[in-house]
Amino acid sequence: MAHKKIQGNLASWELGAYAVAAAENGRLLAMAFGDGTVRLFDSETPDAAPVVVNAHKGACLALAADIDKGGFVSGGDDGKFVKIAAMGSAETLWESKGKWVEHVTAHAGAGVRAFAVGKVATILNKKGEQRELAHASTVGGLAVNPKGKRLAVTHYNGVSLWWLASTAAPSILEWRGSHLQPAWSPDGDYVITAMQENALHGWRLSDGEHMRMTGYPGKVRNIAFTRKGHFLATTGSDSVICWPFSGSGPMGKAPSEFGSASEGALVSTVAANPKLDIIAAGFEDGSVLVGQPGSANTIGIIDAGGSPVTCMAWNPDGDRLLVGTEAGAVHLADFRG
Amino acid sequence: MADVHQIPVTVLTGYLGAGKTTLLNRVLTENHGKKYAVIVNEFGEIGIDNDLVVGADEEVFEMNNGCICCTVRGDLIRIIAGLLKRRDKFDAILVETTGLADPAPVAQTFFTDEDVRKKTKLDSIVTVVDALHIDQRLADSAEAKEQIAFADIVLLNKTDLVDRETLKNVEARVRGLNPFATIYHTARADVDLDKILDRGSFDLARILEHDPCFLHGHAFDPTHNHSHDHDHHDHGHGHDHGHDHHGHDHGRDHHGHDHHNHDAVNPVHDAEIRSISLTTDTPLNEQKFDTWIGEVLRTKGQDLLRAKGILNMSGKGERFVFQAVHMVSEGNYTGPWPAKDKRRSRLVFIGRKIDPKVEAELKAGFEACAA
Repeated sequence: MAHKKIQGNLASWELGAYAVAAAENGRLLAMAFGDGTVRLFDSETPDAAPVVVNAHKGACLALAADIDKGGFVSGGDDGKFVKIAAMGSAETLWESKGKWVEHVTAHAGAGVRAFAVGKVATILNKKGEQRELAHASTVGGLAVNPKGKRLAVTHYNGVSLWWLASTAAPSILEWRGSHLQPAWSPDGDYVITAMQENALHGWRLSDGEHMRMTGYPGKVRNIAFTRKGHFLATTGSDSVICWPFSGSGPMGKAPSEFGSASEGALVSTVAANPKLDIIAAGFEDGSVLVGQPGSANTIGIIDAGGSPVTCMAWNPDGDRLLVGTEAGAVHLADFRG
Repeated sequence: MADVHQIPVTVLTGYLGAGKTTLLNRVLTENHGKKYAVIVNEFGEIGIDNDLVVGADEEVFEMNNGCICCTVRGDLIRIIAGLLKRRDKFDAILVETTGLADPAPVAQTFFTDEDVRKKTKLDSIVTVVDALHIDQRLADSAEAKEQIAFADIVLLNKTDLVDRETLKNVEARVRGLNPFATIYHTARADVDLDKILDRGSFDLARILEHDPCFLHGHAFDPTHNHSHDHDHHDHGHGHDHGHDHHGHDHGRDHHGHDHHNHDAVNPVHDAEIRSISLTTDTPLNEQKFDTWIGEVLRTKGQDLLRAKGILNMSGKGERFVFQAVHMVSEGNYTGPWPAKDKRRSRLVFIGRKIDPKVEAELKAGFEACAA
């Protein structure tokens, strides 16, 4: 399938497996696939073939940057939590046959890795010590706060905030409904969740203030704060809805929006650039564009006509973008030229 | 664009010990030309090591969407999303529920969750009933009744353990709870799998095919007394006439209606779950019907388990087919009326608390939709 390139040099691969998740760790960008492989792309040599890691026997379900430089952690439906080294070797850190490892995360500063299986989130420290955190319902997502002190675990009817260094009971942020992906604002004061309903819910930790963000025509699968936390970019609409978080927060304010694809195609994934206040947005029609909250100007990267974009990751310099789709097309866009 | 093929999902319900596991094992081991991903509630019961068998937790979530009875199975949403990442590995999905499960959240998941709805389609709800113990189950379990009331297909199993008279009574009770399910008699869940898999029971365009007598109202008319017995024969009701004019040949012989004992028994009506059938020969006004049915589902949807209708809208050459699971409904025009059929509207509700007053209200409301 040909993808019309609009701007930026693009290297493309047709890998034929569902692109599940993407992550960045230094110059290496990784993508996990439905065929159980994790592929490592060197952002400094965009045209080089990726290193193939046979990480899981079934499908990969989750991927994140590891605490080790250039490494990644992945979870799969083979019940394994796997550590992938920069050279491409894979090591199983935890395994339970018949279970699914659906969420993974790691925080280099805190030196912890974490993953979730069913209702239990498990924290692994550098020494390999395990701590199991039980919840009343299945875990919907994991995120360590930017300072590396707390782990947010979403579930039915709220979020549990656990201290990584203490066995104290978690603080519970309550809100009715099923909470999925969590996101911490860069200053650590807001926790926002994408919900099963077409909505987001948020809490400001300093004063316990709630915020509801609704009006989406579709399910919000993916959310991302811009690098300094001025905006929260979201999927689930036919343009990129960005909630303002500077000053007093988004309460009572209208979101700004930018970008659109072919008629009716919803934004399916977003990725915040690490150097500039810009957002890459992937759409259900296969198109990808880059834009800025509050500005009408966008740069088209890939034109419509491909399968839905499922995941993206920027390199740390913010000038290379890895894009994956449901049908397994992978593109590495280069903005350096 | 991407592949828009929706994966068919069969839901298997039935009380503990009715024979679900026997049927599941058959689906997993027999050579029927399709690969099933199977979502089970108890791993241990299936003695098969297969990476397409996935354990579920039956987590029922309320949706905050203003619909008070809208519950979904959160675990199913999750598992289906996971399975879709290796969708090239299977052709269809089978979901087993526990014996105590209410089938509504399972069915509603397939109409409510956007991702699930886009990628999969609910094919049929199949309920396995133990012919020997059904009386006891119906006496002590609300779920057993709901599982039958919700079914598109009922496997009346263990028929070898009961005599003919008992079987007749059992079937009458099933028919009393559910007028439109297709009933098969089996001894050890030994039904042809293609009679229960990939049936399209929720496919509006195929609803009539499953019950060609639907419009004639024979299915459960209490005054309709057929004295002949009913062991697996075709009683010559023209069951075939619904098959030919849909143009949906999928390469299989439709011989499945010989067990289809529509009108062979007098239904024994249940005190809690009842069904009513509303018919009219007067064409309906679509706008009036929309308004009325919306109000009915909004106010009574919690007690109405399922509804199906084939309606003759004024000024339209095509049949309007309608169905609902509690408050979740859909309706569409599905093709022209067969030239030989009378254009009659029929709407069936299965639910709780359908007393004579409610029945009279529904009847009056339906008739007031006349154009």
